[in-house]
Amino acid sequence: MEFNIDDLPILFPYPRIYPEQYAYMVDLKKTLDAGGNAVLEMPSGTGKTVTLLSLIVAYQMYYPEHRKLIYCSRTMSEIEKALVELKALMKFRTERLGYEEEFRGLGLTSRKNLCLHPSVKREKSGSVVDARCRSLTAGFVKEKKEKGENVDVCVYHDNLDNLEPHNLIPNGVWTFDGLLRYGEQHKQCPYFTARRMMQFCNVIIYSYHYLLDPKIAERVSKDLSKDCIVVFDEAHNIDNVCIESLSTDITEDSLRRATRGAQNLETKINEMRDSDQKKLQDEYEKLVEGLRGADEGRQEDAFMSNPTLPDDLLKEAVPGNIRRAEHFVAFLRRFIEYLKTRMKVRQVISETPPSFLAHLKEYTFIEKKPLRFCAERLTSLVRTLELTNIEDYQPLQEVATFATLVATYEKGFLLILEPYESDTAEVPNPVLHFTCLDAAIAIKPVFDRFRSVVITSGTISPLEMYPKMLGFVAAVQESYSMTLARRSFLPMIVTRGSDQASISTSFQVRNEPSVVRNYGSLLTEFARITPDGMVVFFPSYLYMESIISMWQGMGILDEVWKYKLILVETPDAQETSVALETYRTACCNGRGAVLLCVARGKVSEGIDFDHQYGRTVLCIGVPFQYTESRILKARLEFLRETYRIRENDFLSFDAMRHAAQCLGRVLRGKDDYGLMVLADRRFRAKRTQLPKWINQALLDSDTNLSTDMAVSNARRFLKGMAQPFRARDQEGISTWSMGDLRAHQAKMADEQIRELQEREGEREFGGGVGGKGAGGNGDAESDYDMDNDDEAELMALDGR
Amino acid sequence: MSRNKSFASRGGTTAASLGLPAPISGDDMCPVCKTIRYLNKDMEFLINPECYHSMCSNCVNRLFNDGPNQCPYAGCHRTLRRKGFRSPFFGDLTVEREVDIRRRVAAVFNQHEDDFETLRDYNNYLQMVEDLTFGLVSGTEARRRDAEAQLQQWEAEHKIDIERNRKAGREADELSRRRIAAERDAARQRRIEAIKEAEEEKLERVRNREAELDTMADAPEGGAGGGAGAAGAGGQRVELKRRKQTNRAGETGAAAAGSGGGAGAGAGAGGAATTSDVGRLSIRGLKDKRRAPAPEGPYDPFGGMDFVPSRYKLHEGLSHPQIDKYRDRAHNTGGYSFEEYAARAMYEAFAGLAVFIEDEKEVGIGLSAGKVAGISAGMAAVGSDEMEID
Ligand code: SF4
Ligand SMILES: [Zn+2]
Ligand SMILES: [Zn+2]
Repeated sequence: MEFNIDDLPILFPYPRIYPEQYAYMVDLKKTLDAGGNAVLEMPSGTGKTVTLLSLIVAYQMYYPEHRKLIYCSRTMSEIEKALVELKALMKFRTERLGYEEEFRGLGLTSRKNLCLHPSVKREKSGSVVDARCRSLTAGFVKEKKEKGENVDVCVYHDNLDNLEPHNLIPNGVWTFDGLLRYGEQHKQCPYFTARRMMQFCNVIIYSYHYLLDPKIAERVSKDLSKDCIVVFDEAHNIDNVCIESLSTDITEDSLRRATRGAQNLETKINEMRDSDQKKLQDEYEKLVEGLRGADEGRQEDAFMSNPTLPDDLLKEAVPGNIRRAEHFVAFLRRFIEYLKTRMKVRQVISETPPSFLAHLKEYTFIEKKPLRFCAERLTSLVRTLELTNIEDYQPLQEVATFATLVATYEKGFLLILEPYESDTAEVPNPVLHFTCLDAAIAIKPVFDRFRSVVITSGTISPLEMYPKMLGFVAAVQESYSMTLARRSFLPMIVTRGSDQASISTSFQVRNEPSVVRNYGSLLTEFARITPDGMVVFFPSYLYMESIISMWQGMGILDEVWKYKLILVETPDAQETSVALETYRTACCNGRGAVLLCVARGKVSEGIDFDHQYGRTVLCIGVPFQYTESRILKARLEFLRETYRIRENDFLSFDAMRHAAQCLGRVLRGKDDYGLMVLADRRFRAKRTQLPKWINQALLDSDTNLSTDMAVSNARRFLKGMAQPFRARDQEGISTWSMGDLRAHQAKMADEQIRELQEREGEREFGGGVGGKGAGGNGDAESDYDMDNDDEAELMALDGR
Repeated sequence: MSRNKSFASRGGTTAASLGLPAPISGDDMCPVCKTIRYLNKDMEFLINPECYHSMCSNCVNRLFNDGPNQCPYAGCHRTLRRKGFRSPFFGDLTVEREVDIRRRVAAVFNQHEDDFETLRDYNNYLQMVEDLTFGLVSGTEARRRDAEAQLQQWEAEHKIDIERNRKAGREADELSRRRIAAERDAARQRRIEAIKEAEEEKLERVRNREAELDTMADAPEGGAGGGAGAAGAGGQRVELKRRKQTNRAGETGAAAAGSGGGAGAGAGAGGAATTSDVGRLSIRGLKDKRRAPAPEGPYDPFGGMDFVPSRYKLHEGLSHPQIDKYRDRAHNTGGYSFEEYAARAMYEAFAGLAVFIEDEKEVGIGLSAGKVAGISAGMAAVGSDEMEID
């Protein structure tokens, strides 16, 4: 269908539109017009991606700025899905407009997924593929080849140089499959095609890391202009991605290998000094001049990546005492030896970067400044030495990156040395965690660079938490409710078992037989009444294991077995995917199955259980994080000190966002239906932290149910769902045709006029405007309050 | 913190040719008495910076308790003393030795970046020091002797600067140490407070709940409303407390920032060396601190701005019927200067000439037109306010 928002004509590739989709577009347009950031929460299964794409593409094509879209998603499959949607959208536009627009949309993923080289692509690990590819495609390799030396190159890569650099691939939207096929036909590398075409695309779809991980972002995304529209989809975990991208762990083994790397470097330097002194001298002179090498322009074959540094530093010359290759290697060795000594300490140490640096200086005479240049200097050296087997230098590079980060950031990072794996371990296995505590650091360049950043997800409540944690101001913050013609999902909070005893996975009671039995009977009951598939989430693997074995002893699993096949998620990805496959088959044939999984596992994040694959989701216990972790504790403290987010608020928020993710798994569209059961008495106090669309559908009477009440509710609901339901019933309510949309637009326009008039009136009388959005804040805050149990649990964990 | 490793003596190493031992493998067997760690769990290895040969503490006691003795390593003929032994900081003894040498070098070459004219000079200096260090650590016999000589020469020549920088460095270290400690303390304090606050809040909540129950018990009818009211009040109290906490955050931030400066203040030393012997060191770009600073002139409130008119010239005895009348006595008695008046009149006449607003806008000096408008509007507003009050 076609319609206008303000003056912007939008082509929407479906004959009907959901009201929330329309609202989403309106808000999105507002954000783009005003320039600024937005946090938008849109119920899962309401076609968020297509909404987003059709608005932004319309925006791009209509306005003269042609602002580029950078769409970031989390997984490869999500990226591919988005590309397919985009392709369909463009096809629709072409049909409607009668001509093909000048448009190019590309996705980027790792070399591992896009490589065509017959032997390289067979490598299992992504980093090996990267390293091998680099050794085939590096600039000097090509030079050597031209000189007639016998070196291996990749034809797929070299063929690209025969093409026009801005037109490596025709216009259109290229899915990964399409790109691979095109690459195979024209014998050109899909990975580099996508990388090099990035600047010439209207829409880029790739993973978060290409923007957030400073080591990658610098190379891949630096050419993108300021007025790009950046969208982070499925962004409910974005803070963790940010943090992970800046954190490193150093182990004794990695230090050993780093030492070996340093030794290799030394030999190479000596070799080169004997054979090709000039290259070293050239590099040295460049460093003296403070030039960032001219050939660095073609950064795509850069061997190693550097974390971003403040710009002023990048312009400065490399300090004199690490300019010479041999000086630098000695410098590295001293640093590594120092770290090795630190690792020998047998007690837990947590230290801030300044204190680490002070100690380092005292014992090794390494100053902060050369340390900051460490990563960059190493990259330069590796390039000069023309090393090809980069994977050998990976650990060395990790150490160098760590050095750079620790010397660059005083705040927001912490070093934690844990000599033992667990409290009970006898044999030391020290790990030095260099952990980033502040999610805002990694994402700051993104907000600084781009005018509009949109953060969106199906579950991103409470909205105000994200701007706070990521350090930005949101111009638009909106959570949409779900319009439904019938109540197609039923959220319930079960607080008591059938014997009226309250149920909870809180630390004190989680292993009590009565609680375990109550959970067991809840499972059995729902397994009995649920048609087809059912998914059960536990707070942790540990708890899942223990409760399953207890259920086994109580004969509960045998009972469940009567109704459904039982499958279990494990930390092993391979096993889990087999289990999922079996689960799917079971759901399509016969009685269906129960999948037992973990609220923070792979299943809860990436797998959809639409239609028969998921009719019930049962969330057993509030999925709190494991609070004993020192890293988490440090982060909590940081959040409290810096952003005034209290520990309990954050833990509760974090638990609820995972719970919401789990719930969202079963409802993937408006014609879908499902039961959402939250089984823990503590959920009652936390219901306001659920996304708006779930919370709205949760009746007050359903927040304090016992097992049998919940079961009879569910029965009634399922009976209702079994009634025939035609698409026509949704017309005008949960889906709009063109007519409905016009009516709505007219109504909105009227309202706007009225509002304006009213405001005029108010102004004339000198009355206060404002005050509208201010309410509600007060009680929102106390919503985070944990109840006593939570605290008791946290304390119990602390005291252990 | 792991400062528990003893790190005693300033190494008095005169770097001489030593066959450096390979780093002790596995550090599990004493190379002298062949005791293995298995037999002596807390075996400790010691080294003597004379030759960096490591041996277990038992051996050290056995061999050196009765006075100086020869190193038991075959081929090493150094005489070692008991008190020279210490436990090494690094596992790799070559690094241990290198760092000892660095300690000496760093004590002498302790210039700061701000002692140099340009960054480049500083970087050249750093490289020179590094080269020298390399000479000491791993140079040939001759190179080492050269480096040693250079080091001593530099030390002799720049005694005062070195001492000054050393002192400044110590102070800076002390300062930063104190700052780190203060920060740590503050963090601990805040943590304790947060815990206390949480406890209080919890207590408060319990108390509220009790109060609620009490009111309910007291007033069987319509009690619910009262209860809710009480709870509301409690909530407000908690709210207030939180706000208080937020304010505190600002203060601590300011305190931490306060102790930043005060490092720097290094002094450099003379540039060109006059006599030249063994590859005598000369460092370019070092700021000449010996030259006395230019004497400070009188204080200039306008910071060097020149008020001599450039577009006209004031001549003595300016005369014009309009102003001549001010030249009389009656005007001059109060200290009034006619010259002053004439100068001002001229200044005002020429003010604004040759100022092109377009240029000013681009460069952005002074107030922008918008700002001026804003100010005048503001003044107008004030004015009108006053009028209203009147
Ligand atoms: S250039 Fe492309 S095809 Fe060749 S090895 Fe690298 S990723 Fe594979
Ligand atoms: Zn011994
Ligand atoms: Zn010896």
